[in-house]
Amino acid sequence: MTVRSYFQNFIIETGEVSKFAIRFFKEVFAPPYEFKEFLLQCYNVGCKSIPLVGITAFIMGLVVTLQSRPTLIQFGAGSWLPAMASVGIVREIGPVVTALMCAGKVGSNIGAELGSMKVTEQIDAMEVSGTNPFKFVAITRILATTLMIPVLVIFADTLSLFGSFLAANIKGEISISLFFNQVFEKLVFLDVVPSIIKSFFFGFTIGLISCYEGYNSKKGTEGVGKSANAAVVISSLLIFVIDLLAVQITNAFM
Amino acid sequence: MLLCSKMKTTKPDTEKSNSPVVEIIHLKKNFKDTKVLKDVSLILEKGETLVVLGKSGSGKSVLIKCIVGLLHPDSGEIKLFGKPITELNRKELDAAREKIGFLFQSNALYDSMTVRKNLEFPLRRTIKKEGRAQIDKRVKEALANVDLAHTIDMMPSELSGGMRKRIGLARCLMVNPEIMLYDEPTTGLDPITAEGISKLMVDMQKKYNSSSIIITHDMKCAQLTATQMMVLIDGLIYAQGTYEELAESKDKKIKSFFK
Repeated sequence: MTVRSYFQNFIIETGEVSKFAIRFFKEVFAPPYEFKEFLLQCYNVGCKSIPLVGITAFIMGLVVTLQSRPTLIQFGAGSWLPAMASVGIVREIGPVVTALMCAGKVGSNIGAELGSMKVTEQIDAMEVSGTNPFKFVAITRILATTLMIPVLVIFADTLSLFGSFLAANIKGEISISLFFNQVFEKLVFLDVVPSIIKSFFFGFTIGLISCYEGYNSKKGTEGVGKSANAAVVISSLLIFVIDLLAVQITNAFM
Repeated sequence: MLLCSKMKTTKPDTEKSNSPVVEIIHLKKNFKDTKVLKDVSLILEKGETLVVLGKSGSGKSVLIKCIVGLLHPDSGEIKLFGKPITELNRKELDAAREKIGFLFQSNALYDSMTVRKNLEFPLRRTIKKEGRAQIDKRVKEALANVDLAHTIDMMPSELSGGMRKRIGLARCLMVNPEIMLYDEPTTGLDPITAEGISKLMVDMQKKYNSSSIIITHDMKCAQLTATQMMVLIDGLIYAQGTYEELAESKDKKIKSFFK
């Protein structure tokens, strides 16, 4: 594939994803609403991701604190550890790690599920049954990821801070009340709110890309594998791009 | 076109009391540069079973997907119950589809749902109106029709190929279809199961008084089910007639289907 055709494909694909997103916004508010399916997808995305996100976030909080502590102590800034860890966790580690874990778990799941539904004509069967498959399959999943990822981020932030406290307590003596006092003293509105807002975008991106890849899966099992793979890779890449933009916007306000 | 008998391929006599359930006039469909359907016209009357024979890639599946609105024709007209489907909006098309049962080649059972949920799916918008008890009754009746009442709470992955096909048929019957479209209903099944499915299709057609279009290259299935047959070669209707007429044909291409 030449550079030119690669670039052409990129432009076409971007256009197709944009069309998919526009269709989402056009149809999301129009009845009939697939509320039952939406709740089921919220359960699949949210509840089923809790163990994975929780363990990952807890370990990340622990590791970040363990890694930062010696350097901070070296500079005589050991008392800044809770504040530094909390800002890092709430602003970056919580949202990005949660989104990446969900891109892997939820994104691949949606990509493969929709891909196999497409290949085995289940989406066509829905259409013939008088059900709008885009509403039933895509909109419910995109909405579920958009709303569940921020909830998971809040959960991950909390567990990550506990992990951070555990690390701080193992290496030095600090009570839980002192640790969290210092955490909340340093955390400000512009640390918390932008990170929650950007996690909505992370969730939307994961849902949109995964559904797009699955919904447009080419025939055959190879296509299903490619859809699942593309869902994870593109979602993960876009999470970093959105994060970069979010940092720039937040810094402009600060 | 080799015409073995007078089959209706043009507009029906206006004096006729029954309008055709499906009418296709000069249908053309291309995929990029590939001309899949070059010029297909047919009429399906109430109670008829039209079997469409053809090799793989001859455009058979594209034809029935166009009938049900899954694919849009490039030119030509498709009328369902006298109404051109290209002029229907989404709501009207869905209403027309409520009278159609479509058995997909791959059965298209929803993997994440039980057999019960699969059968309820076409009626999900009417569950509140009809009542849970009535829907349950219809599900059980549809499963009894295909002799698989015991599978009601099983997942599709727990069923054999033949059972999946029968469940697919039961799901189609849930809407009391006036038209049944079968896309290679016996493909991938052993001859005994395939014959069982064919006989079931005939029984269900009688029971529901429906009209059918069957896409197949299984001659046993065609023999058991067809009232009319059509041979599709390279996107064109090559021959039409009854099973017996086509079976007696001296034409090489037609004979090759009956070997």
